[in-house]
Amino acid sequence: MDKTETLPRDTIMPLRGLKNRLSGRLVLGAASVATVILAYVWITNLPNNNPALLPPIRDIVGAFFTNVASGNLATALGASLFRVIMGFFIGTSLAVLIGCLIGWYKVAEYLFDPLIEAVRPIPPLAYIPIIIIWFGIGEFSRILIITIACFMVCVVNVIAGMKNVPQVYVDAASTMGATRLQVFRTVAVPAATPFIITGYRIALGAAWTTLVASELIAAQNGLGFLLQEGRRYFLTDQVMMIIVIIGACAFLMDRAFRKIQARLMVWSEARE
Amino acid sequence: MSEIVVDNLTHTFGKGSASPLTVLDGINLKLESGSFNAIVGTSGCGKSTLLKMMAGLFDPSDGQMTLDGEVIQGTDRRRGMVFQQDAVFPWMTVARNVSYGPRLRGASRAEQAEIEEKWIRMVGLTGFEDRWPRELSGGMRKRVDIGRVYANDPDVLLMDEPFGALDAQTKERMQSDLLETWSATRKTVVFVTHDLEEAIFLADKIIVMSARPGRVHHIEEVSLPRPRTNDMRLTDDFLAIKRRLWAMLEH
Ligand SMILES: Nc1ncnc2c1ncn2[C@@H]1O[C@H](COP(=O)(O)OP(=O)(O)O)[C@@H](O)[C@H]1O
Ligand SMILES: [Mg+2]
Repeated sequence: MDKTETLPRDTIMPLRGLKNRLSGRLVLGAASVATVILAYVWITNLPNNNPALLPPIRDIVGAFFTNVASGNLATALGASLFRVIMGFFIGTSLAVLIGCLIGWYKVAEYLFDPLIEAVRPIPPLAYIPIIIIWFGIGEFSRILIITIACFMVCVVNVIAGMKNVPQVYVDAASTMGATRLQVFRTVAVPAATPFIITGYRIALGAAWTTLVASELIAAQNGLGFLLQEGRRYFLTDQVMMIIVIIGACAFLMDRAFRKIQARLMVWSEARE
Repeated sequence: MSEIVVDNLTHTFGKGSASPLTVLDGINLKLESGSFNAIVGTSGCGKSTLLKMMAGLFDPSDGQMTLDGEVIQGTDRRRGMVFQQDAVFPWMTVARNVSYGPRLRGASRAEQAEIEEKWIRMVGLTGFEDRWPRELSGGMRKRVDIGRVYANDPDVLLMDEPFGALDAQTKERMQSDLLETWSATRKTVVFVTHDLEEAIFLADKIIVMSARPGRVHHIEEVSLPRPRTNDMRLTDDFLAIKRRLWAMLEH
């Protein structure tokens, strides 16, 4: 068998070019972040800058250490992470379960699809008042809101994934003797994983968005609560600090997720 | 034993709709057990449709097909199919693809490993067991596909233009390999192609179809001796058949 017939992509790709491109990308990314920070430093050092509106970076860092020392930040972060993770986990699990059924089984589609289509355009935050009326402003309500948001964005992707399973894979499995359930389990679900994982990632973003909104409205702790507190007492440096923390958390979780995605998707042409 | 009989089969897509399309019309065929049959015809004459119905992927609108006297209805592992498109599961390694069928029926790890080893060797992919399909060329993926169907041990092998997208050299090598495997196992093969030379080289019987609607136009018994070798492609007998079939397809 001659080996010229195949060459793994990595061998074809000139390795040096790839490395150069990667480092070039890093340099550009770092440059743009540095520019924004420098611009901020410059503005806050102008003689007529109002630190109550734009606190200098040393104040923001100071607010960070104050809140770390008092334990406020750790408590808030813990409470918020718990909500994000619970809402994300429950919402996406339900989405995968229900989405797979709707996307694959006609009966489930006819039964549930109109419902989902009707509810889909409603922004999850619109449920906050009714959820507070029904369940009060406790932990349950906040997690429920995040769960709904994660479910809605994820389920759409799962359904799309199941509907885009190439027919030829299904036919191939059937002609090899797979039962309907086996086709579902060994073909439809794995073929839909790229869509499903995308659904997870979008849900993660949605979880953070709704977290902050729900905590702004009704919470005694959490990152959103610290934001609200900062606004109330004009602690602009604290507000800025929390914004950066939320951004960093969402960014790091998304990065971690990409790692998982890359590992799960080694088989895919389209993997990143 | 695995003899296929097609009995007055007709198929119309969109029956009862505004624009029904009769693709196959009154097809009668008898494909002997253990024989290698080729179906040739211009594209769109219903070859894939006929093959998919043999696989049981859908029912004909009229008439029937039997395998050893039993009416074909629904898919069955006894009738394996290599599709015109790439059907190798991209989320499984080469080895896992090959042992997919046996795994469906609960084959043990040891049985799977044995089947993988055997069929990967038969299709010439030893050393590529743990590769992902995306790392293989089109020709190699087709080999995985064929190995996977063989490993599932069907009685009938339905192949839909399996080598259609390959370059001439790879194609010739795969044709020879296929004949070798076939003579070792003697399954009934139905091989669709639009390549006359391929049909003559491989088959005992060539079914020439005419288009719109698809009908059986002619059946050519190929009496070239076996084993077939590549130099036969240039013999007078071979070329005479090719000329005759060519003239038929022109019409
Ligand atoms: N599922 C389908 N619905 C409607 N028309 C179809 C379908 N599948 C195939 N056809 C039509 O039937 C004809 C024969 O198709 P096919 O069997 O694929 O031909 P071949 O394999 O000989 O090229 C074509 O005109 C094609 O457009
Ligand atoms: Mg075809």
